Amino acid sequence: MLNKKINVLAVACTMLAGAAFSSAASAHTRWVLPSNFTVSTEGGEWLTFDVTAANATFVFDKPAGSENARIIMPDGRKERPNFVLRGKRRSVFDFEFIEAGTHKVTINNEPSYFTRFKAGRRDTPKRMRANKIDRVALLPKESRDVETAVMFTRVESYITVGKPNTKAFELEGKYLELMPITHPSDIVAEEPVRLQLFFNGKAQAGVEVEVVREGMIYRNQQEEVKVVSDEKGFVTFTPEIAGRYLLVAKHQDVLVDNQFADKMMASVNLTFEAVLP
Amino acid sequence: MKIKNISYLLFALCIALPSWAKTIPDNATLDVHLELPVIETTSYARPYVAVWLENEQKKSVRTLQLWVGKDDWLKDLRSWWRKVGRNDRQLVDAVTSASRPAGKYRFTWDGLNDQGERIEQGEYTLYIEVVREHGGRNILRQKLQLFENGFSKQLKPTQETGLITLKYRTK
Repeated sequence: MLNKKINVLAVACTMLAGAAFSSAASAHTRWVLPSNFTVSTEGGEWLTFDVTAANATFVFDKPAGSENARIIMPDGRKERPNFVLRGKRRSVFDFEFIEAGTHKVTINNEPSYFTRFKAGRRDTPKRMRANKIDRVALLPKESRDVETAVMFTRVESYITVGKPNTKAFELEGKYLELMPITHPSDIVAEEPVRLQLFFNGKAQAGVEVEVVREGMIYRNQQEEVKVVSDEKGFVTFTPEIAGRYLLVAKHQDVLVDNQFADKMMASVNLTFEAVLP
Repeated sequence: MKIKNISYLLFALCIALPSWAKTIPDNATLDVHLELPVIETTSYARPYVAVWLENEQKKSVRTLQLWVGKDDWLKDLRSWWRKVGRNDRQLVDAVTSASRPAGKYRFTWDGLNDQGERIEQGEYTLYIEVVREHGGRNILRQKLQLFENGFSKQLKPTQETGLITLKYRTK
């Protein structure tokens, strides 16, 4: 009897923790903001990066970690940042950019699993952090509409030192990925930007992409641009004003015969700047 | 018959070698008078200036002047850095000179490209980008018809530039 009570408590706690975490993970968009996108100093320069999860573009909110930050160097190898710190509402990392060429900065966490279900007489929707195997022990009896999703978000940006190159663009072939067609250092206000979306290494149609400029609280309309990738995975849009932008691309895929999840929810959150024409 | 053959050959050559386009006259030059205005402010820094020429394909053919200080700020010449500077460090080092105080300046372009060759006749665009720390940025664009005939043009003053006079001489 006591055992059962503890069990119920444990489930409740897990669900609560899950709910708290998921609100941070899914409702808030995780992003990175570099102090600069371009380095012209010969011999290199230090740049600093803010990482947080928030609902408004480039407004600090939840301290998403930078422990997994990596810098893909212009020759394709990976480096870790020199300094990583974590505050109450953001985390920060610094890296010294010395090598000429384009670097890709990523903060990609491990895939995480969430199970949604309905329980109780009022059909209350609930969530918990559990994959299909773990959920068996955790789900209350008579749970309904049970669905487990695996979520993976890429948070990325590009930094160019001197002459740009494209080696750091190479795909991993996993989850949702974004391949710049317009080089990120060539994004200019009033000029079209083209990029291509891939899912598990294949060009993906139907990916929803939303692009928002910084400074949302200083204007009445969000002025977001929404585009959907075509049959070859391409999207094109035009940033009308110079400034920093957050691009969020999202894709869902049903997983068949997967022992851990029923569907995949993958996103790419890219921070870029559109320079003055 | 023979004449016809020759004319065919010439015709074929004309198609095969569009690079036969004429270069600008041997002694063609462009005189530039450029004024950096006196700006009353508590923290005046000498502006960074880049002057370059682009062809109709929007490719830079020559950086005429580059007046800068520390190369940390080269990128603040945003257009010039993106179109020219970042691609060729040697060129940057070769054309860099010190930043200059407010005043009137004159320089002459010799009609050559970055490789030292006389450029082809055609329509070009002269860019003048001026950026000042704690201050503003202006980028001026002026189309130039660089053919056999000389001309002169005046560019109106902006916040960061005074009167600019361009004189294309071919004799």
